[in-house]
Amino acid sequence: MKGIRGIAILLCSMLFNGLIYAQSAVVLYNERAVAIEQTLPDATELWVKPQDLTRINDFVLKPEGACLAELCIPVLQDRDSDMYVTRQNQGWFNVTGLADKLQQAHMADYQDGVWSFGVMPLERQAFFGSGQAPDFSLPDRDGNLIRLSDFRGKKVLLLTWASW
Amino acid sequence: MPVWQSIYEELNDDSFEIISVAQDSGGEEAAGFIFDDAEVTYTSIIDVNHHISALYNLLNVPSGVWIDEKGQIARINEGTYATTHYDGAFGNDDYVPIVRDWVAKGADSAYVWDRDKVKESIFLRSDEAELAAPAFRLGSYYFNQDNDVKAEKYWTIAQELDPNSWNYLRQDLQYEEGGSAGPEWRERRDRVEGAGGSYYAPLEIEDGAAN
Repeated sequence: MKGIRGIAILLCSMLFNGLIYAQSAVVLYNERAVAIEQTLPDATELWVKPQDLTRINDFVLKPEGACLAELCIPVLQDRDSDMYVTRQNQGWFNVTGLADKLQQAHMADYQDGVWSFGVMPLERQAFFGSGQAPDFSLPDRDGNLIRLSDFRGKKVLLLTWASW
Repeated sequence: MPVWQSIYEELNDDSFEIISVAQDSGGEEAAGFIFDDAEVTYTSIIDVNHHISALYNLLNVPSGVWIDEKGQIARINEGTYATTHYDGAFGNDDYVPIVRDWVAKGADSAYVWDRDKVKESIFLRSDEAELAAPAFRLGSYYFNQDNDVKAEKYWTIAQELDPNSWNYLRQDLQYEEGGSAGPEWRERRDRVEGAGGSYYAPLEIEDGAAN
């Protein structure tokens, strides 16, 4: 009996861990809708594995911090912090924490695990500061990615309209 | 749309491109045929998340932005019809001549704004209104998942957070009784205009030599 009970407890704990770590999420940022297989469960914050951080917003976790091109936000990784924790030898990065540091707007449907992020203010510093056109990357009707920066050397008339 | 196509063909200039971006969460189904009917050959995008309006702080359609060869904005946040519609009910013929002038003269065009004028013409959103974009994005995600309850929930939140956006209001109304130009829209527009506000972004053409 003891053996069976022990196995039952072991199975329960495996199932429990499995459930915890199987919590998935969808992250919306710019045109991306990134499916994340595993997140660290949290009522209000989005914690992902470092490699998923890059899939979401191109930030790369390096020893010096979370980096995007020249910018690095320092992140302690040898101990728990509000940006990074280690659980069962797996590191988890706080994406919403980074967004708050960058003053990037975000909203989530916690029930479904769908997280939506607005434009990063750092993308628009030169827009508000000196009228530089913010770059974008959107698929055209044939599925080709259209980047504004690919039109350097040309004049661009950017027009919005709608069917409604 | 057909008017812009004819202007594009008339200018036929390798150093000039039109990027036309439909703010339509309904995607191809909602907006594709309009591009098709006009047989558009310039760059055509259907922006289901209204990303361009969020990025450039645009509140209504149509809106236009001039971007020069170096990526510097030369005009922004203007209500930019290519011509008059419905016997002058909206739109005017003033914008196209200044586009022609810019394409011909570039930085020397009298209609190119300096940086200060560009900066002061960018609409500024409050922090709360900045939160409307991710909310609207969530709504569009659910809309395209056929989850109308959650689409409505987040599109409503977006409108509450950014009540200045006509795009968020009318995109939502398109799928409701009354439609995007029905009583609710009419009432809102009358209220804004009655208070001295403007429905379309202003189009103020400087006295210049675009003739």
